[in-house]
Amino acid sequence: MRRLFLIITALFTILSIVFVFLPLGTLGLLPVGVALIFGFLAHKKSNFLQKKLVKLLLIICALASICIIGKELLIKDVVEKDEQFENTKIESKEEDKKDLEELEELE
Amino acid sequence: MKKSILILLTTLLLCSFKTDTNYTIPSGETLVFAGSYNMSGLMTQLAQVTLSTETFKTAKNEYLHLTCELSTYSKWDKFFKIRDIYESYVNPTTLKPNLYKRNIDEGGFTKKEKYAIKGTSVTSTMKRKNMPETTKTFTIGASTYDVVSLLYKVRTVDFKTLTAGQTKSFTIVFDEKEIPVTLKYIGKETVSAGNLGTKECYKIAIAAKTKVLKGTDKNLIWLTADDKKVPALMKFSIPVGTGQLTLTSATGI
Repeated sequence: MRRLFLIITALFTILSIVFVFLPLGTLGLLPVGVALIFGFLAHKKSNFLQKKLVKLLLIICALASICIIGKELLIKDVVEKDEQFENTKIESKEEDKKDLEELEELE
Repeated sequence: MKKSILILLTTLLLCSFKTDTNYTIPSGETLVFAGSYNMSGLMTQLAQVTLSTETFKTAKNEYLHLTCELSTYSKWDKFFKIRDIYESYVNPTTLKPNLYKRNIDEGGFTKKEKYAIKGTSVTSTMKRKNMPETTKTFTIGASTYDVVSLLYKVRTVDFKTLTAGQTKSFTIVFDEKEIPVTLKYIGKETVSAGNLGTKECYKIAIAAKTKVLKGTDKNLIWLTADDKKVPALMKFSIPVGTGQLTLTSATGI
C-alpha cells in the first residue's frame, strides 16, 4: 500500500511541477492537493528510513504550491502589444473606407 | 367585445417590445472584459475582450464603427495565441450594419470574413487559411443585424416595460446564414460591474438556432439597469465548455 501511495505522490508531484510552468492559474493546486494527501498517507505508512523520499516529495509539492499562488498573486494578466496586429487594424481601416465608399456609390 | 380585448392585448404586447429610441450608443465608448474559461470547475482567465465604438467618416456618410477584439493574455500567447477582431460599421441611429468583418487568428488558424450589406443584399467574401477565397451573394431581412451590432442593439431595448419571461426576437447574419435569435428577460440581479461598482442589472437569456450556443438559459447577459445598459457580465455555454466575461473597465459611456 505504501508503494502505491508513493507512486501516486510521485506522479502528482511531477504534474504539479509541470503546472507551475503552465498558465493555468490556481488549477495547478489540484495536482498539488492530491500529491499532498497521498504524500501524507505514504508518510504515515513509512518507517523512519523510508520517510526521507516522502518528505522530499512533500517539500517539492509545497514549493510548487508557493510558486502557483505567487504567480497568481504577483503576475498581472496583461495583453502584450502586438505590432503586427495593430498594423493589420490600420490597413484594414483604409480598406474598409474604400468598401464603404463603394457601397455608397451603388446608391 | 372579445375582438376589442384581443386588439388591446396585442397592442399592449407590441408596446412592451418597443425599443428605447432616446438612447443612442455613444462614440468613444470602451468596455474591457476579462474572459475566463471553465477548466475542471475552476474559472481560468484566458483573454481580454474589448468592445469599443468610434465615429467613422467617409466622403458621404458617417458611421459608428463597432469593434469587438479578443486577445489572449501574454502568459497564454506561447501556448495558444488568439487575436480575433469582429467589426461592424453601422448607422449611428438605427445600428443597422453596412459592413461587417470577422478576422480570426486562433493558434495559427486564420479566417477572414467580410459582409458588404446594401439594403437586403449581402455580398460576402470568406478566406480560410490555405484555402481559396470564396464569394457569395445572398439576401437578408430588412432588420437583420450581425453579432456585433446585435450586442449594441440589445442595449437600446426598453427592459423597464418587460416582465420576467417575456421574449424579443432578432435575426442575425452569421456564417453566411440568417439565424433567429431570441432574448428572454429573466429579471433583475445585482452584479459587480468593474469600475462602475456593484450595479442592479437586467438579466437576459440569449438563445440562437445555432450549434455555437448550447443549453436553455445558459447564455446570459447582465445589462446595468440604467439608461446606458452597459454589459456587466456575460456567461456563455458552447460545445467545448462554459465561460464568462466580466466587465473590468468602462470608459466613455
